[in-house]
Amino acid sequence: MGKRVVLLIGTNKGLFQYSADLERKNWELKGPFLSGWEVYSVLGDSRGEGESVNRIFAGTSHAAYGASIRVSDDFGETWRQIEDSPSYSPESGFSLNRIWQLIPGAADEPNTVYAGAEEAGLFVSYDRGEHWRELQGLTQHPTRPNWFPGAGGMCLHTIIIHPTNKKRMWVAMSAVGVFRTDDGGETWQARNVGLSRVPTGQPEDEVGRCVHKMVLDPANPDVLYMQEHGGVFKSIDGGDSWFAIEEGLTLQDGDAPFGFPISVSPSGDLFLLPLESDERRMMKGGKLLVYSMRPGSNSWEPIGDVIPDEVRHVSVLRDAMTVDGLDPYGLYFGTTSGEIFCSLDRGVTWDRLPGQFSRILTVKTWIIEEQ
Amino acid sequence: MGVRITVTVPMLLSDCTKGRSAFELEADTLQGALQLLVAEYPLLKVHLYNEHGEVRKHVLIYYNNDNIAWLDKLDIPLAAGDKLRVLQAVSGG
Repeated sequence: MGKRVVLLIGTNKGLFQYSADLERKNWELKGPFLSGWEVYSVLGDSRGEGESVNRIFAGTSHAAYGASIRVSDDFGETWRQIEDSPSYSPESGFSLNRIWQLIPGAADEPNTVYAGAEEAGLFVSYDRGEHWRELQGLTQHPTRPNWFPGAGGMCLHTIIIHPTNKKRMWVAMSAVGVFRTDDGGETWQARNVGLSRVPTGQPEDEVGRCVHKMVLDPANPDVLYMQEHGGVFKSIDGGDSWFAIEEGLTLQDGDAPFGFPISVSPSGDLFLLPLESDERRMMKGGKLLVYSMRPGSNSWEPIGDVIPDEVRHVSVLRDAMTVDGLDPYGLYFGTTSGEIFCSLDRGVTWDRLPGQFSRILTVKTWIIEEQ
Repeated sequence: MGVRITVTVPMLLSDCTKGRSAFELEADTLQGALQLLVAEYPLLKVHLYNEHGEVRKHVLIYYNNDNIAWLDKLDIPLAAGDKLRVLQAVSGG
């Protein structure tokens, strides 16, 4: 049996799937699935057994009907809503508006899945998504009264598990910042020293940092990178402190480098899709340019002119860029105008995949055994 | 025996109601019908009600021609042919 590469595309009007063989040249498109639902998060998970060996988890939400998790064990043909989806108690005072992130648990915990929610909170399932509980140590943190929602909502959008010490995890929340646990999620510490501060109007100095997306270095789990509202940052001490890494990034004098996604390849190539400024939030001049910082370099280079002969006055959202784990790796992103682009040469040249969708919220890769 | 009424829900929520957007329920009162609706179809609950048990802001539940939010009480005896409709309030996007 061979392998296939699946791209899961969550949009504000349902979920779509591309699939291809390992060459990743001829993509077959299926969907829409979950029509009518926003799909802010999706996870393709092949760690199961029996009929659910290949399970898709989708974080579905709707402006009128709230949020829940739906799963499919047949590549999207049929779906089942999880009755015991993440939820907040009435006493908490919080509302569960969206599911922003779904990630698998540690390698030796195939039944564990984590979910990041809006309003910001972290949930875990130990039975492959059937039941969920909130890790309340995060929402009971003393700084919680001073967490302030950005305009996009107070979302917990990034969850990272240390690759060899599953007790250590990081989460990142928009307009709040980074928190780390070293006891498997029971207690959390803010880890925002050195990050720029966005004006949240709240007095608490420990929080109020607007992380847009954060990734862990594949070779060194003490090293993290983030695209923040007010710049691009790196930590070499597990998030204890942060410093800017912005050489080559200034698009507009006086503005900190602004954008949403950041991705890292298995070999350590970093990728950004910088926007013109916080105020404008579009590709400068309509030029869809991918920037990369290669391992060993200290500066960013505009390495990929994605669609040289056309303009795209668009943005790319925080969870809409991703890397597969293959060799050579594929880099993918989806735009707010619903196009998907793919590069197989470290972000230098790009193909546009067929089809166009609504606003793309999330792009995830999934490597499956061919049926 | 209760009174048999017709319930309709938006197609989007029909995966919570065994794939049907129209079905029947048997209850004695409107309150009983509302309780039975989410007891029989528990997946509906999260979509109709918020964390405090209130009908979501952009969800409307109509008993015949009345939004249940307009009613002084829900302890209303049902009559044959009554209708309970779940509607999405006008929203854009």
